[in-house]
Amino acid sequence: MTFLEMTRRTMLAATAATALALGSGVALAQTPPGVLIVGQIAEPKALDPAAVTAVNDFRILMNVYDGLVRYKDGTLEVEPALATGWTISDDGTEYTFTLREGVSFHDGSVFDAEAVKFNFDRMLKEDHPYHNTGPFPLSFFFSAIEAVDVIDAQTVKFTLNAPYAPFLSNLAYPTGLIVSPAAVAEHGAEFGRNPSGTGAFKFAEWRSNEAVVVEANPDYWDGAPDLQAVVFRPITDANTRTAEMLAGGIDLMVEVPPVALSEFQGDAYTLHEQAGPHVWFLILNAKKGPFADKRVRQAANYAVNKQAIVNDVLEGTAAVAAGPTPPAFAWAYNEALEPYPYDPAKAKALIAEAGAEGAELTFYVTEGGSGMLDPVAMGTAIQADLQAVGLKVKIETYEWNTFLGKVNPGLEGKADMAEMAWMTNDPDTLPFLALRTGAWPDKGGFNSGYYSNPEVDQLLEAARASTNQAERAKLYQDMQVIVQEDAPWVFVANWKQNAVTSDRVENFTLQPSFFLLLDDVVKE
Amino acid sequence: MAGYILKRLLSAVPVLLGISVIVFVIMALIPGDPATAILGSYATPENVEKLNRDLGLDRSLVHRYFIWLGNMLQGDFGRSFSLNRAVLDEVLERFNATLVLAGTSFVLCSLLGVAAGVVSAARQYGAADKVITFAVLLGISIPSFFLGMMMILMFAVNLRWFPVSGMWPIYGARDLGALISHLTLPALSLAVVATGVIARLSRAAMLEVLRQDFIRTARAKGVHERAVIWRHALRAAMVGIIPVLGLQAGFVLSGAVYIEMVFQWPGVGRMLVDAILKRDILLVQGGVVLVASCYVLFNIAVDVAQSLLDPRIRT
Repeated sequence: MTFLEMTRRTMLAATAATALALGSGVALAQTPPGVLIVGQIAEPKALDPAAVTAVNDFRILMNVYDGLVRYKDGTLEVEPALATGWTISDDGTEYTFTLREGVSFHDGSVFDAEAVKFNFDRMLKEDHPYHNTGPFPLSFFFSAIEAVDVIDAQTVKFTLNAPYAPFLSNLAYPTGLIVSPAAVAEHGAEFGRNPSGTGAFKFAEWRSNEAVVVEANPDYWDGAPDLQAVVFRPITDANTRTAEMLAGGIDLMVEVPPVALSEFQGDAYTLHEQAGPHVWFLILNAKKGPFADKRVRQAANYAVNKQAIVNDVLEGTAAVAAGPTPPAFAWAYNEALEPYPYDPAKAKALIAEAGAEGAELTFYVTEGGSGMLDPVAMGTAIQADLQAVGLKVKIETYEWNTFLGKVNPGLEGKADMAEMAWMTNDPDTLPFLALRTGAWPDKGGFNSGYYSNPEVDQLLEAARASTNQAERAKLYQDMQVIVQEDAPWVFVANWKQNAVTSDRVENFTLQPSFFLLLDDVVKE
Repeated sequence: MAGYILKRLLSAVPVLLGISVIVFVIMALIPGDPATAILGSYATPENVEKLNRDLGLDRSLVHRYFIWLGNMLQGDFGRSFSLNRAVLDEVLERFNATLVLAGTSFVLCSLLGVAAGVVSAARQYGAADKVITFAVLLGISIPSFFLGMMMILMFAVNLRWFPVSGMWPIYGARDLGALISHLTLPALSLAVVATGVIARLSRAAMLEVLRQDFIRTARAKGVHERAVIWRHALRAAMVGIIPVLGLQAGFVLSGAVYIEMVFQWPGVGRMLVDAILKRDILLVQGGVVLVASCYVLFNIAVDVAQSLLDPRIRT
């Protein structure tokens, strides 16, 4: 056989193949009615709520499982779910839940107090027969639990080692979702790929790197969903995700990159936005260097043009932050707080007063990471703003995990400032882990800039122990005023989560919790 | 011949051992540990330490290397923590997808590249040569990921001839037609650069052969020009072209990483990128060792093929 013959034959085959592909290609691009195709940002790790940490996985889990409690639609306030009600002992250490009757897991087993006890014991007790189905990285959310006792089939009591106000909110978090003990017993370590909960959708199929398919649960206690099924597709590349949305390959896309927003302006799409419990800030090294002086820290807050960053770099996908607590925690947020205005003249004056003109600063910037938005562009804009008021800023850029390895142990001796972002489910966690004196890195916290104010410490401890929401709100509002004045961080932005749906999708809303709830969604 | 093959295979053993040491050490040295990657915002020293213990990362490096190597020799590549799945299952499944993509691309670029090179050489400085040389220059100059994105825009978003991403339809039949429609854009964008390189070097190899005496003899004996080019000259030129194909196979395999990212192809390249970002140590190590083994074996196959064409190499 000569090469020519081979080439001709192959060319013929290739032509035929292309024709075939074109033929089948025409039928593409319409997704079936009643089946919602969601463009996710990554392949999930597992569908075991106790074992995962990523928002990406939570988006699936919240539709397959329920917790004892959940966030009320459109808020971050707790309402009953699998529990119909609860009482809290006067000292705040005993929570007794009454459970919903007649609820079954997707595998047919019954949801009762034993199932609740199983879930928390599995996560927390090292001698539990199914503790080896972990690890459970976020189990510390429930480390305050001393014991879970079954009172009767519909009543379960949690005993805490100390009053711990975020407990209820943590139960509404995905880590607190209730899994079927029977399914864990059946599948062991493979439970994460064979999930069973009580939620609006039941697990159908997981095709690795292609799709997770869940189907409507007709017996859902809160009303069967309208959709027949939801398909979650992992599409890691944001450009490709955008292209899929434009080509009609997906019906709903989360985390639309700011630059792609203009593509979705027409009637064919609906753009959804929702501010969430997110804050983007700069940690300032308050222990050593120029930022040890409060005036220089305040100067940095005046010098950074936050409005320009939010409008121009983030294309309006975020709002200017005023303090350490995101406004999404409406009940705990201090409405009186105004963001530091953009005032370079005042910044210069403060820097001159502190004698820090021309100070050289090292600035840690990351290439990208959870909740970090557009960190390189934002870092560059901030550098320019600080240069403009006479500070010499040197940027060091690191990949996300490397970056965390440098920032989490503390900035001392390495840097003066670092980018950071947090998303939490309660107003307690972030300040408790990142602003207290007891949270300096050497004491096991994330206060990488060594901020310390005894008054703030006291407010935070008190707010965490109190079970009276009004009292908690007052304590947190006072804390925000002090922290804003002390300026341990430059408060930059609160991210608005976004999503796009096609015109075939109705009744979809984003939640401030950043969870994706699909049980009310309709698709023609 | 058997002896030659055996010798080449034996020489691969230290190479693979070396690779296993290198990938292990690199994963140990890169900053950022898996526990921090998993815990994200919640990576307090205490939580990190506990999770590292749960993941078995608190033992010494040497200890961990030999456990890994020992398990691997018994076919146990460990469990990926980021996917909660056996590494071997994941890697083999993903490697299949990469082979389909890179294999198709490789066949495409070899055939097109050699054909273009031969035509170009046969009509040196003619119109066909000029057109091909220009096209080749263009092909070599376009980064494959950019070409991929442009192809998506043109053929998937605007014309809607092909799907944007993935290997199979999310719903509907998984037949050959579905595969080809998903494969066309990524395979083409991956093939373009390699086609250019192969065409250039094939042209050079052919030109060299065409100047030789036996070609003039063949022509003098009245052999048809087509037979002179495609039968006599090409066979001789293949000795020089095959090693280029071997190199380009490696290039296509590594280029697949970008293309897999752009087209969300569920291949091993995209898997490795994700695994590295998540510090999924066992998945990276297992994946690299398997891909490297494949590459080494392929190189041996190229050497063997070359020695079949030119027995002088076999010493």
